[in-house]
Amino acid sequence: MTKTFVCSCEDVLLDEVRRAFEAGNRDLESVKRYTGLGTGPCQGKSCVALVARELLRLGATPAEVLPFTVRPPYRPAPLGALAAIEPADLPIDDGVPVHPAEARTPAAELAPLPARADVVIVGGGIMGLALAYELTRRGTKDVLVLERAYLNAGASGRNGGGVRAQWTTPTMIRLARRSLELCDRFAVDMGVNVWFRRGGYLFLAPTPEQVERIERNAELHREEGLRTRVIDRAQALEVVPELDPSRFLAASYNPDDGVVFPWPFLWGYAGQAEAAGARIATFTRVTGFETAERRVTAVVTDRGRVACDLVVVAAGAWSKEVAALAGVALPNRPTRHEILVTEPMKPWLDPLVSVLGNGLYFSQSQRGELVGGMGDPLEPEGVVQGSTLRFLARFARAAIDCIPVLAGTRVLRQWAGCYDVTPDNNPVLGPAGFENFHQLSGFVGHGFMMAPAVAELYADWLTGKGKHEIFEQFTLDRFTRGPVAKEDFIIG
Amino acid sequence: MPRLPTFDPDCTIFFDGEPIPARRGEPVAAALLAHGRPLVSRSAKYHRPRGAFCLTGSCGSCLVRAGGLPNQRACRTPCQQGLTVQTQNALPTAQHDLLGAIDLVYPHGLDHHHLMTWSGIANHAAVAFSRRLAGLGTLPDVEALPAERSAPASEERFDALVVGAGPAGLAAAEALAELGRRVLVADAEPAVGGRLRCRYGLRGEPDLAWAARVVARVTAAGGEVALRTAVLGLWRDGGSPLAALDADGPPRRLRLVRPGRIVVAAGGHPQPPAIADGDRPGVYGGRGLAVALAEHGVVPGRRAIVLGEGAEPEALTARLAAAGMEVRRLRSAEGGRVLGRARVRALELAGERIPVDVVAVATPPAPATELARELGAELVLDATTGVFALRVAADGRTGVDGLFAAGEVTGTMDGARAAEAGRRAGEAAR
Repeated sequence: MTKTFVCSCEDVLLDEVRRAFEAGNRDLESVKRYTGLGTGPCQGKSCVALVARELLRLGATPAEVLPFTVRPPYRPAPLGALAAIEPADLPIDDGVPVHPAEARTPAAELAPLPARADVVIVGGGIMGLALAYELTRRGTKDVLVLERAYLNAGASGRNGGGVRAQWTTPTMIRLARRSLELCDRFAVDMGVNVWFRRGGYLFLAPTPEQVERIERNAELHREEGLRTRVIDRAQALEVVPELDPSRFLAASYNPDDGVVFPWPFLWGYAGQAEAAGARIATFTRVTGFETAERRVTAVVTDRGRVACDLVVVAAGAWSKEVAALAGVALPNRPTRHEILVTEPMKPWLDPLVSVLGNGLYFSQSQRGELVGGMGDPLEPEGVVQGSTLRFLARFARAAIDCIPVLAGTRVLRQWAGCYDVTPDNNPVLGPAGFENFHQLSGFVGHGFMMAPAVAELYADWLTGKGKHEIFEQFTLDRFTRGPVAKEDFIIG
Repeated sequence: MPRLPTFDPDCTIFFDGEPIPARRGEPVAAALLAHGRPLVSRSAKYHRPRGAFCLTGSCGSCLVRAGGLPNQRACRTPCQQGLTVQTQNALPTAQHDLLGAIDLVYPHGLDHHHLMTWSGIANHAAVAFSRRLAGLGTLPDVEALPAERSAPASEERFDALVVGAGPAGLAAAEALAELGRRVLVADAEPAVGGRLRCRYGLRGEPDLAWAARVVARVTAAGGEVALRTAVLGLWRDGGSPLAALDADGPPRRLRLVRPGRIVVAAGGHPQPPAIADGDRPGVYGGRGLAVALAEHGVVPGRRAIVLGEGAEPEALTARLAAAGMEVRRLRSAEGGRVLGRARVRALELAGERIPVDVVAVATPPAPATELARELGAELVLDATTGVFALRVAADGRTGVDGLFAAGEVTGTMDGARAAEAGRRAGEAAR
C-alpha cells in the first residue's frame, strides 16, 4: 500500500506529522513525542531535517523546529562495551545539555491567557493534568494549567513507567492499587492507549537484611490482599530465566504490578480536561504571585497575570522554586535520576526488575526496548537534566551483573529527569503559607504511578467531597511538628 | 553483471540459510546488493520490506542478526567465511513475511494511540497482541557476547581529537600534525576518506593518495587514525570534554579520550527521499552506492535514477553508467512515487512511469550536528537546504572553548571547500 514515510525506523507517515501539527503539536519536541519519530535505531538522523522542513511549511517557526535535544550515544553502543568504563573515575557532572524549553510559539499564535480562573494549577505534568481532569469531572471547570515547556517535558515524560503496589505502608499500598485499577481502565476511559501491562515487579534481595525486609513487606502485602510472594532463586529464574542467580538470595514478586507508556497519560488527561472546559497553556512560565494577607490573589506569568481563587503547585522538581516565588519554603530537594533505553527486542522480559540496595531497575517497554535507570548516591541537589557517561558505565555494569546476556544489547538513547525528594520520602500536600496556596509535590520518583489515585482524592477534597487521611498526614508543617516515619522502598 | 570484473568473491556468508558469495571484509549489505538481494529487513510496524538505504551506518533500515548478535547493521558488519546472517522481525523470513499483511490491512496507516480504545476486553487483547509483534531482534547468543565486550578502558591523552576522516577532518588533522600535535582521528567507516571514497575526482577535491599521506603524517607526529571507531559522544564528566569511542574490533575496544581540543568533521546523514513509497528496497544513498561500486565492484542493478543536481549527482550518474547501468538523472522526484514492493520496479513521476531497479539519492546530506551540540555548539538554519547546521566562524570556531567544526557539519559544501575549511579549523585549533 502506498505510504509516504518521514521516519522509517518507527514507520511514521508524513500525514501523521501533519495531523500532529494540526492537533496543536507545533514544536519538534512535541511532534516527536506524539508521533514517535526519531525514537528508533537512527535516533532522528534520517528524519529530523525532513520533519523540520514539513513543519516550517505548515507554519511553524524556526525556533519551534530546532532539532530535539541530543541524546547520546551517537551510535548504538553495547552495554558490554560501556561496562569497560570505571564509573568511579568519572566525577558527577551536569552532563550533556538539554535543549532549553525555548521552542516558543509566537504570541500571536497563542490564545491569550484568561484574566481569571477559579483554579490555577502550576505544572502540566501528570499530577497537574490529572487534577485538572478530576476537578472538571466534579463540576469545577474553570481550571487553568500552566506548563513552562511542552507536555511531557518534566519527569512525567522522563520516567520508566513503573506502577507497583509493593509499598511499605497500608496508605501507599491502597493508593497504588487504586492507580493500578485506573491504569487498567485508562485507555477506554480516556480514549488513548497507555499500553498498561501487568508483568509484575521483581525485587531482588542481595543481602540477608534485604531478604528480611522483603519478608516483612510481603506479610503486610498479604494483609492488604496483594499477591506478593517472597520467592527463592529457582522460582525467580522461572520468572526471568536470564538472571544471574549468584547475585541475589531471594526476591519479592507481585505479578499484578505493571508498566505503562508514560506520555499518553498526559495527552489523555489534558484532552479530557480541555474537552470539559479546562484550559492548558504550554510554554508559559510562572514568574510570581500576588498576595493579600493570607491569600494568593493572582498568578503572574511571562504571558500576563491571572487572578484566581485557588493555586495548586504541581510542578514536580520545580515546585520548590515555584513555591519560593510566593515566599513559601519547601524542604524538597530536586535530584537528577538518569535513565536509558536499548534497541527494541522481541518480548523476553515480563516483570520490572529492581535490585534492592543499588538502585538499579529496568523493564521491557511495549515497543520492546529495555528501559532502565539507576540512582546515584553522589547526585547533589539541583534541577539538572543532563546526561552523563558515568551513568552509562554504572548502569552497564549493574545490569550485566544482574543479567549477563545484557552485555549484547545496545543503548540507543540516554536522558535524565528529576525526583522531587522530601526528607521522609513522602509528598507535600495541602495549603502551605497561604490558605489557598496548595502543594501537590514531593513524590520522590513515584509521582507518576501515584497521580491517578491522588488526583481523585485531591479533587474530592477541593470540591468538598471528603478529606482523605493523606491530607492530614502529609502536610508541610509535619516537618516542623516532630519526627516523621520515612518511606524506605524508593527505587532508582 | 552484479560485480565488476576483478572483484571476485572470496568467501561465503549465509543469509537466512542461503549461501551468498562475498568478499572478505566488505559489508554484508554490499554482498547482498551484489547478489541481487536488496531486501534485508522488515519495518517495525507495518512489516514493509526494507533494504539498506544509507549504506554508511547512519539510518536504521538494515538491521539483521549477524553472528548471533541482534540488531547489527548489515552495512557495518564485515563479511567473513561462514558468517550467518538472519533477518529479524519477520514470519518466517523478511523475504516472505506473512506479517506484511499489516501494511495492506492499514492502507492509510495505523493510529496506535487510539487502537481498540472502545472496549476494555478488546484493548487488553490489543495490548497483549501488539507486544508479541513489537521489537526487532531476539536476545544474543551467549557465545557471541565476547564481541560486544571490551577490556577496561583508561583515559588516553591526545592533543586533539578529530571526528571524521573525510576531507575536512583529514585536512584539520594534517594541519595539526604539521604543527607537531598528537592527533587522534576517529571514523566509524573501515577506510579513510569519507566522501572521497566515492572517487568522483571532483574539481579541487583532494584524492585518496592525499588521504593516505595525511594518515602517514598524523602517525609520524605520534597520532593515530582509528577506523571502524565510532565516537559515541562528547560528555563533560569531570569538566573538560571527554570522548568515548567504540572500536568494533575484534577485539572490541571502548576508548576514553580527553583531548585538548576537538574538531568535529562528522559530515552528514544521508536523507531518504520524501516521496510515496520511497522506503522500498532499491532506494539508496548515492555516496554509499559509489563506495560499494568503487571498493567492491558492486553494480546495484540494471537501470538507475540518480536524484539531485550538481557535480556530485552527475559524477555518480557517470560512474553507474560506466559500470554498465542504464542511468537517468533527475533534479528531484518530488511528487513522485516508487513502484514495486519487495524491490523497486519503477519511478512514477508526472504521469511518466520510468522502469528502474535503483533510485540513488545524491542530494546533500543533513549536517551531523549531534556531537558538537553535546558540548553546547549552536545551530543555524541553512536557508539553501532548509536544515540546521553548526554555527561556526570562518576558522571553524564554534564559540565553545576548544571545540571546532568544519565541512558538511556546517552546511552543504563540496569536498574542495570542506578540505579548505578543515585546514583552517586545524590551524585555529593548534
